[in-house]
Amino acid sequence: MLWIISSLVFILLRIAPGDPVDAILGTRANELARESLRIKLGLDKPLINQYIEYLNQLIHGNLGISLNTQEPVKVIISKALPASLELAIFSILIASLVGYLIGFLGAVKPESRIDFWGRIFGIGTYALPPFWAAMLIQIIFAVLLGWLPIGGRLPPGAIPPPPITGFLLLDSILDKNIETIFNSIKHLVLPSLTLGILLSGIFSRSLRLNLEEVLKKGYIEAAKSRGINYSRILVKHALPNTLLPILTITGLTISSLIGGALLIEITFSWPGIALGLQEAINQRDYPVVQGIVVIISSLVVMISIGIDIAIAYIDPRVSY
Amino acid sequence: MSKLNYIKNTLKISSIFLILLQLSCVQDKKRENIIVASAGKIESLDPAQANTLRTLQILSALGDTLYKINKEGNLSPSLAKDLPKVSKNGLLIDIPLKENIFFHDGNNFNAEAMAFSLNRFREIGTLNYLLNDKIEDIEVKDKFLIRIKLKKPSSSLKSLLTSVNLTPVSPNSYSNYRDSFNNKNFVGTGPYYLESFNSSQQIIKPFKNYWGKKPLNKGIDFINYRNSSTLFGAIKTKEVDVLISNSIDDMQRLTLNRMVNKDQLKAGDGDPIEIGYITLKSNILPLENKKIREALSYSIDRELISQQVSFGTREPLRSIVPPQLHSKNFSPWPNYNPNIARSLLKKEGYCDTNILSIPLTFRSNVPADKLLALTWKDQIKRDLSDCIEITLNGVESTTVYKQLSEGAFEAVILDWTGAYPDPEAYLTPLLSCNKINNNSCLKGEAVFSGSFWGDNKVQELLEESEALEGEDRLKNLIKVEKLAAQGNAYIPIWLVNPKAWSLKDISQPEFSSNGLIILKNLKRE
Repeated sequence: MLWIISSLVFILLRIAPGDPVDAILGTRANELARESLRIKLGLDKPLINQYIEYLNQLIHGNLGISLNTQEPVKVIISKALPASLELAIFSILIASLVGYLIGFLGAVKPESRIDFWGRIFGIGTYALPPFWAAMLIQIIFAVLLGWLPIGGRLPPGAIPPPPITGFLLLDSILDKNIETIFNSIKHLVLPSLTLGILLSGIFSRSLRLNLEEVLKKGYIEAAKSRGINYSRILVKHALPNTLLPILTITGLTISSLIGGALLIEITFSWPGIALGLQEAINQRDYPVVQGIVVIISSLVVMISIGIDIAIAYIDPRVSY
Repeated sequence: MSKLNYIKNTLKISSIFLILLQLSCVQDKKRENIIVASAGKIESLDPAQANTLRTLQILSALGDTLYKINKEGNLSPSLAKDLPKVSKNGLLIDIPLKENIFFHDGNNFNAEAMAFSLNRFREIGTLNYLLNDKIEDIEVKDKFLIRIKLKKPSSSLKSLLTSVNLTPVSPNSYSNYRDSFNNKNFVGTGPYYLESFNSSQQIIKPFKNYWGKKPLNKGIDFINYRNSSTLFGAIKTKEVDVLISNSIDDMQRLTLNRMVNKDQLKAGDGDPIEIGYITLKSNILPLENKKIREALSYSIDRELISQQVSFGTREPLRSIVPPQLHSKNFSPWPNYNPNIARSLLKKEGYCDTNILSIPLTFRSNVPADKLLALTWKDQIKRDLSDCIEITLNGVESTTVYKQLSEGAFEAVILDWTGAYPDPEAYLTPLLSCNKINNNSCLKGEAVFSGSFWGDNKVQELLEESEALEGEDRLKNLIKVEKLAAQGNAYIPIWLVNPKAWSLKDISQPEFSSNGLIILKNLKRE
């Protein structure tokens, strides 16, 4: 799978119009300057040689060097990926908390006022264009009310903690710097809340639908007729049976966030992997694009395998 | 019971609000440094690699150039001791250098260091062709005297020496970077030294041993946000002290200007250095026909476009050189006149049943280009729908640049910023051509710019102007522009002024002649 993806990215990048030499030199450079840079970057070699070299490097864990900055791709990714993961983890936490709570309440009290507003919330957040919602939230909470910072991971001028894990909040905690901890939380709130709320719609709707379906099953009716407490029915019988589809949806959402949430990262100037990928594509920085795609694909594959294993563990009917 | 729940819920919500209020009321520490925000990342601080305005902006504070262009538009020495002395045949330029100047690493600045930096740029600089096309060799004649040997006389070289890309770097600190980029560090002679660097934030502090006028502030935090809305919000919420306009949307630019009028912000303007124009591909019919290009030139209502796209903040332009670079105001391109456009097109057999169709390409990732294209299309529909029809085609900018010289676009919206403040930095990149056949350029800059327009007389005048100085040179370049206007392979649209806004307690931003803020003049008031 990874070989197919990495080969596809390699081919597609070379087919796409645009040239890294143009992106670096501009269009005005003379032919001599362009040719010498092409040789320096190894772009003068036949495509098949470039491909073999790329695969050889990849097998040896070498993602190459950025054509634009001459920085190892590994270093570029190691700086940007933790930022995206940090945002993804907090967003998923918020989305799970808000989404599953609303979905649960809606399913437990169908057709009630809370169910009605929960469904409106679910459809609304799902339908909202992320860039618009993000800008709106940014304008209200950062510009008009001034409660939270407008963007970035730390205030301008703040010195970041020594990078140990790359996760700013964790590094601030390890550095025992209260001010940086406070600042990193403050900067994390708005983007993660925005992304979390936008994702919570999917979570609430999926839980509500699945739970509602489970609550109509015969074994729930049987449990009720045996006089078992309703809360116990919900927790012990209904919820575990809704867990499988919920786990799949959560896994898919996490996978989609591994690659970063581009629109949120752009709006809040969050220096994540999606932003890095977008910039690398604009500059036709082949090694960076290839490296990011390969790393993201690997993580997605790992998460999918993890989810499958978890499902097999939870559900005795599934076996591999 | 329900009343108790209600009270509990109210208390919970109130406590959340109180926490948020508490967070918002935490006073930031009083800032010492001035925070300057601009758009985009800075990947490299190597002057040999710098090609974006934001990188040049920070390099202009970290380094010095040999010369500067003063307010009167004349060359004035900076690191050089005196104006360059040109030999009679125009092939040798001697530049005496100032003494007692130190690099940030404590080493002395001298002719060796200057030659090292120029040669390094010639070797690895991404824009090295600017020098290599003109320079044969660089010699150290004395400890504080360098000699530049030219391939042919070049009067524009002096302006080129004002380019921030040619700022000297310390040979000691760059000994391992003779033939590679030093992306994360910079050691020059400028009023500031680099304290810390990452791609989204750079901190610079005043250099104690600086030879010239000392900075009026205690340091600058240069921060880079990714989009216009965040930049706009950042100055509105006073998160930053100064905002540079290079990527601010026109709507937000207007709002900021209104805040200036209400005395909520200060603003400073630089001389315009960026021009916006439409390139017409002149080597294939129908645009091969000069009269049709002329008709299109008459058809464009620059005033309307400026108002619709930028609320008048982009000044309409009828020349391809920013006006301050000429000795007088000079606009050789025709004014908007749809009647003349119609009669020209009728003479060429267009209008009524035969409508001229022009596919207009715009860079889809440049919002102003799209608005320009839409406005011109609507304006043509309003004024000349019986003669012209414009179809729009949005293409990502990297693809546009790649396909420009391949002749992929009949009409395309572009912009250009000269590498140094000189008319030649605008005329040569658009008009120069090495091989011309029947007014069609086969090889040269005009091919790279997508117009494919060549004119022997233009080429002759451009070469002639390299051997001329002062007023004679300007007159020559004006002749070049007149011929370009008659050729109509480009339609200039607007000028973009560099602009910056600052908070009330910060001094008004001042600009240098190359469109960069003079960071050392910023101060808290």
